[in-house]
Amino acid sequence: MSTPATVHQTKWWSGGKSPFNLEYGKLMMWYFLMSDAFTFGAFLISYGTIRFSQNFWPDPNVVFSAFPGAGHTQLPLAFVSVMTFILIISSVTMVMAVHAGHKGDKKGVIKWLVWTIIGGLAFLGCQAWEWHHMITGAYPTLIDGKIELIGQTMAANPWGEVATAADVTKALSNSSVETLAALAHQTGATESHSQLLGMSAEELIAKINTAELHVREKGPVAFGGYFFGITGFHGFHVFSGVIINIVMLIMTQKNVFQNRGHYLMIEKAGLYWHFVDLVWVFVFLCFYLI
Amino acid sequence: MSEALHIHPESTVVGHHDDHNGHGHHHQSFVSKYVFSMDHKTIGKQFLITGIVWAVIGGLFSVLFRLQLGFPGQEFPILETFFGERAAGGLIKPEFYYSLVTMHGTVLVFFVLTAGLSGTFANFLIPLQIGARDMASPFLNMLSYWFFFLASVIMLSSLFVQTGPASGGWTMYPPLSALGQAGDGSKIGTDLWLISMALFIVSSLLGGLNYISTILNMRTKGMSMTRLPLPIWALFFTAVLGVLSFPVLLSGAILLLFDRNLGTSFFLSDIVINGEVLPNEGGSAILYQHLFWFLGHPEVYIILLPAMGMVSEIMSVNSRKPIFGYMAMLGSMFAIAILAFLVWAHHMFVTGLNPFLGSVFVLLTLLIAVPSAIKVFNWLTTLWRGNIRFTVGMLFAIGFVSLFISGGLTGIFLGNSTIDIHLHDTMFVVAHFHIVMGVASMFGMFAGIYHWFPKMYGRYMNATLGYIHFWVTIIGAYLIFWPMHYQGLAGIPRRYLDKSGWHSFNQFGDLDKMITVVTIVVFAVQLMFIFNFFYSIFKGRKVTSSNPWGATTLEWTTPINPGHGNWPGEIPEVHRWPYDYGKDGREYIPQTEPVGSNESKH
Amino acid sequence: MDHQSASSEVTFEHHISDAEFKQRVKKTTILLSVITVIELGIGLLLYAWPGASYLVVLMFKGAVCILTLAKAYYIVSVFMHLGDEIRNMIMTIVVPLLLFIWFIAAFIIDGNSYKNLRNTYDLHFKETTTPVHGHHGSPHQEEPAATPEPGKQ
Repeated sequence: MSTPATVHQTKWWSGGKSPFNLEYGKLMMWYFLMSDAFTFGAFLISYGTIRFSQNFWPDPNVVFSAFPGAGHTQLPLAFVSVMTFILIISSVTMVMAVHAGHKGDKKGVIKWLVWTIIGGLAFLGCQAWEWHHMITGAYPTLIDGKIELIGQTMAANPWGEVATAADVTKALSNSSVETLAALAHQTGATESHSQLLGMSAEELIAKINTAELHVREKGPVAFGGYFFGITGFHGFHVFSGVIINIVMLIMTQKNVFQNRGHYLMIEKAGLYWHFVDLVWVFVFLCFYLI
Repeated sequence: MSEALHIHPESTVVGHHDDHNGHGHHHQSFVSKYVFSMDHKTIGKQFLITGIVWAVIGGLFSVLFRLQLGFPGQEFPILETFFGERAAGGLIKPEFYYSLVTMHGTVLVFFVLTAGLSGTFANFLIPLQIGARDMASPFLNMLSYWFFFLASVIMLSSLFVQTGPASGGWTMYPPLSALGQAGDGSKIGTDLWLISMALFIVSSLLGGLNYISTILNMRTKGMSMTRLPLPIWALFFTAVLGVLSFPVLLSGAILLLFDRNLGTSFFLSDIVINGEVLPNEGGSAILYQHLFWFLGHPEVYIILLPAMGMVSEIMSVNSRKPIFGYMAMLGSMFAIAILAFLVWAHHMFVTGLNPFLGSVFVLLTLLIAVPSAIKVFNWLTTLWRGNIRFTVGMLFAIGFVSLFISGGLTGIFLGNSTIDIHLHDTMFVVAHFHIVMGVASMFGMFAGIYHWFPKMYGRYMNATLGYIHFWVTIIGAYLIFWPMHYQGLAGIPRRYLDKSGWHSFNQFGDLDKMITVVTIVVFAVQLMFIFNFFYSIFKGRKVTSSNPWGATTLEWTTPINPGHGNWPGEIPEVHRWPYDYGKDGREYIPQTEPVGSNESKH
Repeated sequence: MDHQSASSEVTFEHHISDAEFKQRVKKTTILLSVITVIELGIGLLLYAWPGASYLVVLMFKGAVCILTLAKAYYIVSVFMHLGDEIRNMIMTIVVPLLLFIWFIAAFIIDGNSYKNLRNTYDLHFKETTTPVHGHHGSPHQEEPAATPEPGKQ
């Protein structure tokens, strides 16, 4: 980028002009994002504080190992990588839209905005799947001396440490027939579900392949609260970003910016969208990587 | 959207400046002029009047709980007339008492001293003193007020729900505030409190962003940053503090709402309540305190800095002397703004905070004494050998300095973690923060109102009533809060409904009665001020000169009743700093006057 | 590029040629992708290497944090064009972010201290939450966890 000589000659602070060579709207957007960074920062730091106040924390590689259509195959972090790339690419398309706006290229703006909106919606779809999978999941968990199948919710966490074989054997005899049937099914029993339900507890326990059975103790409850809370708050930002982009698309279509002579609104929407990407980078770090 | 509404300083002058002088407004309806107005002056007045309404409510609450503290067990049938069940038999019920204490704190800290003080004067003064037609975005500015209004309506409505308003203290510490079973006030009242605060944060954010970008971008030609009047600098730092710290409270409030309504365990762990074992585990109540005070401490300076800035200005104008140490004032405000972010955990020394970490917080806290002392010395030296005019505004400004010193000194006690162990949660703390932050900021606000009233309404406030207001208030404030130090040193806890169960505290009975009586008198005098305020809007003595105080700053170059756009013609250009008083034999030289060739340097 | 200045506040406009711009965006996209892949690699490496010592784990996690900061830098500087703004503007964004240092440090230190306090004074907490089989709760890990280790969990 060529820097005009004016940069060095202008008395930036003497009044009558912006000291940062930015119109007020962009300045406000920047400082709003800064403020929002403190909102997210506070969430993530709270999460870190609670995590540091616990003796045990679930391993993300264990928690986030599902992939749509892959069944029970363990694919640690694969799905979230896809989500991350979707968001990065949508950020790139947004850069292109802003650039097109800079040139006054209405067609370009529309094209790239549409791609960005698609990227945002794809991300939201992925997140919906991930949440759904975790909440409705049936993870064998050792609770009060018996095994129960629970999902990851705000109030329960199935990702404690792995239960010992002795505990599991003892717990199996206390567990309900429904749970045992489900466990037998999960660990490879060939009978149909109704057939399994017809069996006695002893028969079912014999059917369960303990080598395939991964029973864990209850994990820290706070994990779910923070995971859903923070990814939810981020998802809400993505959602509002998509809405903003749709509004921008409509306004571009209606020649609002063309008539105004500039596409500064697109730049501001772009800043917001990149910020959403930026936050995800840190959410990704805090929840999935470390 | 705001783009179209924005008045560009230069294009206005060239293109359609007729629309912006005082006469261009006959097409405005009542609604667009006084209700959904985008004129920064009107919005400032809206903040002020809403703040006054809240101050009456919040002040009345303190009178009510002072009745209980001064006369425990005494029946006041009038209370039952007004509050029914909550004061059955004329006795304030414990739950009602806690609601009163909580709402008094919340209302005064946020609705009066944040919105009412910085909202009013940031809106009113920034465009006028920097030479702008309006805020950067008048539309967002209007939204800022209406979000505040919405927050007010919700907070007000919480007073009328059956289980009463929030009663967990203005800090809303969980678990008390997180569990509905903990008390009536922790039911719907707390949800309303949290929602109201969330809206309040949105309002303060919209305002703050506007103030910052206006001060940066909209200054008139020649108005460099070091030519800004000190109130503008103070409001600038206030806005920065708000923009960076309010979002952290927002996070805390959201997490608390989740804990209350969605069964999460952010702040809850190992709780048995009324014999019921709660399933929550793993949360940390201390975490909430960290989040709260990360805002809570900067909030103190959000309240105090605007008062400091206005006091500096009023003091210089009425001493007919340049402010002493303009750059030192800036530097110390900057230092205070930075330190404000680093010291929050000094409110938490007795929570089980890591003592080593606590010692770092002690160090950072005590550092604040340095810039505070610089400011105090600068005010005193501004007064020194000045040609002082004791206007009502000036008296309140001097009163501010007095209170800031008295209250600031006890801050040094409390900032030391070892002494804080004894003094924490006693009346000593109540005395400290009421003097240094509560009453001092109120004084800054009064000073500002008396001083800029002529600019706001084109009339003066009645000075005789003003002098009565000042003397009763300052004597009353010291009579109320000074004895509380002794109570606190003797170990009397704050927030207690009735301490007659302790023999050792019985000696303070008469003192408490005295405090309560003085509280009632001071409250009555504030009502007189409010009468003066509204009476003077309509019937006050008219201002005849556009510069009644002989001040140098730009707001006094506008017409007596400026219209939307502030200056009928071009915005004046600025040629000098704002404190050229008593220079070269002249009483004052306005900022708009070019520097003469044979003028002495300041 | 022939559009007029949008506002009187702005003194001059940035100009950049199409080719240079595309080059830059392409480069940044590739960089961001590569860094993400490296981060994932480190995550999986730690998953596949349960015997790694505390220090090694901490080192790798530290590396991931630094890589993330690098990613954030590229997003803000190139995508959000902060790198093209004048220096003072960059400073007003970057300097306040320094508050995060003390924000993070104080919170985390106190969180860690809370854990240590409870492990000392609340035996029930210690016994029910201290992992017996290993930090990751992974079935392969056998090393006992005697003392609580901050940073690793």
